[in-house]
Amino acid sequence: MKSMSRMSFIILLLTIGLAIGITAYAQAPAAPPTATPTAAPPPSASTAELAAGVAKAPATSDLAKGDPGGSITGNINDVPVSDSKTGLTLGDTANQVGQNKIAINFVWTLITGFLVMFMQAGFAMVESGLTRVKNANHTYMMNFFVYTVGLFSYWLIGFAIQQGGSAGNGNLGGLQSLSVEHTTTLFGKTWGLFGGTGFFLSGHTYDVGVMVLFLFEMVFMDTALTIVTGACAERWKFLAFCMASTVMGALTYPLYANWAWGGGWLAQLGANNQLGHGYCDFAGSGVVHSVGGITALAVCMIVGPRIGKYNRDGSSNPIIGHDVSAVLIGCFILAFGWFGFNPGSTLGASAAGNLRIGAIAVDTMLAGCTGTFGALLYMWIKNGKVDYSMSGNGLLAGLVAITAPSGFVNTVGACIIGLVAGVLVCLSCSFFENALKVDDPVGAISVHGTNGLWGVLSVGLFADGTSNYGGAWNGVSGSVTGLFYGDASQLAAQLVGISTLIGFVFTFSFLVNLAIEFFVGHRVSIETEVAGLDLPEMGQLGYPEFVFKPEPDVLLHAEKQYAVA
Amino acid sequence: MAANRSQGSYYTLFLAAATVLCSGIYFWSSGLGKLLLLVGLAGMAGSLFGMMSIKSLEGRTAMRPSPLAMKLIGAGASLLGWVITLFGMHLTPSVSGRIFLALVGIAVSLFGILVVLPAAFNKKAVWKS
Repeated sequence: MKSMSRMSFIILLLTIGLAIGITAYAQAPAAPPTATPTAAPPPSASTAELAAGVAKAPATSDLAKGDPGGSITGNINDVPVSDSKTGLTLGDTANQVGQNKIAINFVWTLITGFLVMFMQAGFAMVESGLTRVKNANHTYMMNFFVYTVGLFSYWLIGFAIQQGGSAGNGNLGGLQSLSVEHTTTLFGKTWGLFGGTGFFLSGHTYDVGVMVLFLFEMVFMDTALTIVTGACAERWKFLAFCMASTVMGALTYPLYANWAWGGGWLAQLGANNQLGHGYCDFAGSGVVHSVGGITALAVCMIVGPRIGKYNRDGSSNPIIGHDVSAVLIGCFILAFGWFGFNPGSTLGASAAGNLRIGAIAVDTMLAGCTGTFGALLYMWIKNGKVDYSMSGNGLLAGLVAITAPSGFVNTVGACIIGLVAGVLVCLSCSFFENALKVDDPVGAISVHGTNGLWGVLSVGLFADGTSNYGGAWNGVSGSVTGLFYGDASQLAAQLVGISTLIGFVFTFSFLVNLAIEFFVGHRVSIETEVAGLDLPEMGQLGYPEFVFKPEPDVLLHAEKQYAVA
Repeated sequence: MAANRSQGSYYTLFLAAATVLCSGIYFWSSGLGKLLLLVGLAGMAGSLFGMMSIKSLEGRTAMRPSPLAMKLIGAGASLLGWVITLFGMHLTPSVSGRIFLALVGIAVSLFGILVVLPAAFNKKAVWKS
């Protein structure tokens, strides 16, 4: 018995020793290179050396045997030769290097654009899940059709307004055909107002680089459009939605996007007015989310609250969504798509400081994480229960807020920005619902509008001055630096951007949608709203085999009142 | 009335007219461009008035008319805030002065949006009755 326990002890010791040994081996730092060159040798490539390289390259017969290790596939023979008589030259090799850089950037931008496009699915699930089952088909269809409407209007004119004067992007080959920016001169300085090339992607803009840029910018624009559909769900006439989305994709979004990203006046605030690096919005907290959220506020005010949302004394009733799984899976899809949204906004993975994409991706996921914490814990402490819809909104709020600063801040900054966003979205939702009586079924105004503005502001606070996208941003050399790292002028530029969003974008959207109200009418009839929009507007229920649970008493009472009044 | 064929037709006309109008802008330098622009504008106007003609068939909505003047004042205040910010950039070269004027502009805009407009829309809100 004693020997047995001794044996067990020895085995235990051996096991622990082995485990420690394995761990130590796994954590051992890599051996330093034996010979580290102090400086790279000067370039000495010549035609003779290139010819020697060609001679040493694997022969066709070697490749015919297969290359399971991948060691001989892709070699000097794969570099295209411009003149077969002279053979491979240094110029051919350099051209290939340049094309490789552009190819990497094209593929990066396209794939991240595809990820952003997939966010439409996330938006559809979140918005539909947060509405009642009798409106599911209508809400899904708005999210589905907004992609088509936005794409078409953006192709017609939106892209030309936004990017028509944005030539000079080295990541995508220069984009020299986007060369017309209409400007005005004010206070002795020239300011960009809107672009003028790229209608129908025709003429000189029938160009490979322009196509890549169009795809990427188009899916961003569509994200802004789909924000409005959530805020106005359950009472928005489909025709009015079509009209409002067409105008937004053609004019509202492209105009502000030109000012921020297309070489317009907001981007020139640094060069013209010495305000930091001009207005900086890396991936669109302002351009995409605030424009969407602020337009949603304008339309929401015009379209009014849903029947039964408010009682006579002004208190509000909760109107519960029908599908928690759709909401939370939708949030995950959106978080996944955000890895295209933010890192993709470098418009390249090669050269010009673009290797920062890793930091941008990590900032993005961290802000989403702390945003969830902020909202979940706030609601838990406030109400004693964990709220799924606000938790999802907290994740999205963190992601929205980090979108503008993701290219300029460190991970601690990202965590703070996300945490603030998570709490802010709860406060903002309550403010709009209870103080202003603006009925936003999904919280889109708070998630995208309020937190978009917070994201824009946070660039002016948290930008740490370490980013270096080719040595300059918006034509001002050096790195973007916020107030907490020593540059108050960047904060001033961000405030001008916020003022433009609140002052110009809201007013423009409000007046456009007032005009649509006059000609079309935004709201469905009482009968349609009470019945649910699926049958009257879409002709089919979203869930035809379901037996609907009756509405809560307070909503039934309100609906009867409206029907009689 | 809900969704119907007329709505679909007028929206199709609107899209077609918008396409023609954009073609007009694209070919603006030629005579054809100006013609296309006029045709596009006429088509858009036609579609809008067509939509307006069927609007009354929609039936009653859960909305009551709210004072238009108040709405315009709210929108005007919002725009005024932006103008203050814009000119504030050129009134003073100091960063703190520009920040202050931008904050004043934002406050004026927010007054229009968060105070005047909700008051306009909620003045005769249907849920109050």
